[in-house]
Amino acid sequence: MPTFVEKVLARAAGLAEVAPGQIVDVEPDLYMSHSASWRCIRALERLGTDRLYDPSRIAMVMDHISPARTAKTADDQRLCREFAARHGIAKFWDVDAGIAHLVLMEEGLVRPGMVIIGTDSHSTIYGALGAFGTGVGFSEVTATWVTGKLWMKVPGSLRVDIEGRMSPGVTAKDLMLWLIGQLTADGATYLSVEFHGSYPASLTVSERMTMCNLAMELGAKNAYVPPDDVTRAYLAERGVPPGAYEEVFPDPEAQYVRTVAVEVSQLEPQVACPHTVDNVRPIGEVAGTRVDQVFIGSCANAKYDDLVEAARILKGRRVAPGVRLLVTPASRQVVAQIVRDGTYAALLEAGALITNPGCGACAGDGGAMADGEVTFSTANRNFQGRMGSYRSEIYLGSPATAAATAVRGAITDPREFL
Amino acid sequence: MKAQVRGRCWVFGDNVPTDAIVRSHLITRPMDEIRRHVLEGLNPRFPREVQADDVVVAGRHFGQSSGRAIAVRALKATGVGCVVAESFARTFYRNAFEMGLPILECPGITGLVSEGDVLTVDLEEGSVVNETTGGRAQATPIPPFLRRMLEAGGIIPIARQLAEGVDR
Amino acid sequence: MNLVEKILARASGRARVTPGEVVIADVDRILLHDLSCYLTAKVLEEEVRQPVRYPERVVVVFDHHFSPPTEEQARMLQANRAWAQRHGVHLFDCGSGNIHHVALHAGFIQPGTVVVGSDSHTPVHGTVGCFATGLGNYSHAALGLPFGKAWFRVPELVRIEVEGTTRPGVTARDVALFLTGQIGEGGMIYRALEFAGPYVEGLEVFDRWLFPLIAVDVGAKSGHVQPDERTLNFLAELTGHRPEAVRGDGDDVAEVLGWEVSGLEPQVACPPTVGNVHPVSEVAGVPIQWAELGGHGGGRLQDIRLAAQVLRGRHVHPGVRFNVVPSSRWVFTQALREGLVEELHRAGATWFPPSAGSNQAINMGALAEDEAMVSTHARNFPGRNGSGRMYLASALTVAASAVAGCLSDPREFVR
Repeated sequence: MPTFVEKVLARAAGLAEVAPGQIVDVEPDLYMSHSASWRCIRALERLGTDRLYDPSRIAMVMDHISPARTAKTADDQRLCREFAARHGIAKFWDVDAGIAHLVLMEEGLVRPGMVIIGTDSHSTIYGALGAFGTGVGFSEVTATWVTGKLWMKVPGSLRVDIEGRMSPGVTAKDLMLWLIGQLTADGATYLSVEFHGSYPASLTVSERMTMCNLAMELGAKNAYVPPDDVTRAYLAERGVPPGAYEEVFPDPEAQYVRTVAVEVSQLEPQVACPHTVDNVRPIGEVAGTRVDQVFIGSCANAKYDDLVEAARILKGRRVAPGVRLLVTPASRQVVAQIVRDGTYAALLEAGALITNPGCGACAGDGGAMADGEVTFSTANRNFQGRMGSYRSEIYLGSPATAAATAVRGAITDPREFL
Repeated sequence: MKAQVRGRCWVFGDNVPTDAIVRSHLITRPMDEIRRHVLEGLNPRFPREVQADDVVVAGRHFGQSSGRAIAVRALKATGVGCVVAESFARTFYRNAFEMGLPILECPGITGLVSEGDVLTVDLEEGSVVNETTGGRAQATPIPPFLRRMLEAGGIIPIARQLAEGVDR
Repeated sequence: MNLVEKILARASGRARVTPGEVVIADVDRILLHDLSCYLTAKVLEEEVRQPVRYPERVVVVFDHHFSPPTEEQARMLQANRAWAQRHGVHLFDCGSGNIHHVALHAGFIQPGTVVVGSDSHTPVHGTVGCFATGLGNYSHAALGLPFGKAWFRVPELVRIEVEGTTRPGVTARDVALFLTGQIGEGGMIYRALEFAGPYVEGLEVFDRWLFPLIAVDVGAKSGHVQPDERTLNFLAELTGHRPEAVRGDGDDVAEVLGWEVSGLEPQVACPPTVGNVHPVSEVAGVPIQWAELGGHGGGRLQDIRLAAQVLRGRHVHPGVRFNVVPSSRWVFTQALREGLVEELHRAGATWFPPSAGSNQAINMGALAEDEAMVSTHARNFPGRNGSGRMYLASALTVAASAVAGCLSDPREFVR
């Protein structure tokens, strides 16, 4: 009785069924690479071939360094543009588009039942739309460019049943941080994580994205939220009718390696403390910690709803003196939405520095810290030295907590503002 | 300040910007690294082969663009004894004296030298002798105010005097 | 005495001064940006070792960075902040805007004063009738910061009289670029410039701005426009206080040059130098991959409005990335209110934080070898923007080129 991943990989491998641990050859539907696609292009050159299996399955989004600030990066990016033009790769987005994951989902290219590989570990995010998404290396994507296939070891599955209603000011990001704290950074290593229950079903696609994105920090291979009317509406809004995809659900009798039951009603805002994502504490234990910088961005929490969540607290208030608030919207579409509804103006007036869309400080494109500095970030990683000095610290939390922290200049419970 | 500088000359054209003396991406590097790239875009041999007391000869408006003091420091670090140009960009002109790099304005100088000629430059009189060809040129002598600055080693040693009006 | 002589005389405690003499003048304002503040502070702390005498006169603006991408740069900004705090000088952190726009908007620039800065385009402040010039780190560290003074050789003044009525689609920027090409780099070495004539006098202040801006590019020490009612009204509106204005005596100039600009077409300064100015018709068709509104010669509200005129009903060419970098938060907020942010975004442009934009490629602006950018920046020397080529033009030309994918005459795009 197959789980989601067993079903979807069987189909992609052209097999009737597969079992955890089995190595299969799958034909991914979409292969994403980002601004370091030049590595794949160079690898292709070393392979001595220029023939691509199916350019229509290749997606390239220049998101990690946008735009270039060194000659080398500029040259690398030009290589990507040239390659895409030469091979007729239509799914190419340049440095002005935003974060790859968001762009692909906004464009309606991610659909239930698809198998997607990406050169970014947070490709697990595609599970928010009921697709299989996983991060792989540059050489693997290169191999897929040429052969159309990629080997995979079928993972076991971990089922998380989540019930209850969250209190105001507590978000999907807090739930995931709490879960990561509970299960630890290798709590789901090499497993497919499925989120079931009334709580995920109550979420918007944006919140489901946050969940599937953070699942990576459990060590997951991929993540999944069962598609439903919410999913179908999201896709329909993007011009993708139900006939264009085939939803995949785990069998009701499916066998899981582990099942975890979670009740969210009592959950408080959570913070991941330096220097690991699973070093999670409830907000009360870290409130008052001074910060120098607040970063609201990344594929975890820079979507429209996330920025609205932050603006709700920042509107009419100001960033604390001596604190830098850096906001990097996830995509052009998000920028358009927040400009139109006044969120952009509210953030600007509060003193935020709003950058162009992209990965931004999460990937080292800005936001670097000097010795002794502290950043509160809505991203998904806080490893030591990730944002500059090895002697700097990163705390992770929700956009609401980030906004409250920016106003006070110290880690603050967002519920004080609601 | 040395009264005379004697060395081979390196010839550059008009309007050399500070961006060519020290490229933007090198500005924060250690001086030991920067000096190995000075003017290399215009003459790759220069930074590799320049010797102490060589003379940089240039056309008009030498050192234009951003007035980055590091351009002067980098030139000094290469060991160059002085710069003789048809004219200087004014911020470069100021920076040179403030940082103790002797420079002379000499209209017509570029017509008088070829790369590699040995020049003797008299910083007090402002005369330039091309020992290789026998030619001579007379530069505009360094104004007294700036000569005092150069002799003191730059602006810092005489700043208090200047500010308190002791030595105008 | 002309305006420069009057200001320098007053500032150095003299009844009169004449061109060629060296004076030691009081300095009313010192402007330092994020790169130069670090270098100047180093010289002050390590070699001069004296406190800042008049911290209230010192303004530091972080404009080359909007967010440091490396630890090294983060450390530099951290050091700058600590230095600014220790000495009690004014600090505008990342995201405030271009240093000159920030200083002006915050009311730090007044007519009749001596304004110095590390940025070579500091002369731009002569727009409101002060004497403004760029000085090196050693001038600031040795004399400016510890003593509130600077040494100057009094320059000769050249009056540039501009007259004519430009044709539609030809902007003040085009006229300024044209003059840069006419005068040439180094054409005015050591001299000060006074921009005058009915054309200049008829411009609003932020368009007059573009003329003192070119002073350094033609080798001049400073550039100004004699303050008039328009100047005083502008400053009164900006700061709530109407200043007194000092005007120079009209006859005390070394030379008068005149230009008639009615017949001009839009102009482009082509690589490798700012003086390499050509009418746009001579370079139309050159492919570009980048377009940018921002930098010293752009990012003004008028630039954004002009670009919107071109982009209305059109879209940025698929092969072009169009960056819009507002010159200050004030401009950004206004642009949002006027719906221009949405309009330009929808047309395919990308908005960046108020800053110096691609200037010297700190946070953005590195081009690949066969790439070209057309922008409203002030400089196009090779090496400042990766390995690519920079063309300098007006906001209209930049926007038109962004749509066409190549350098284009904007008059084809605006009626």
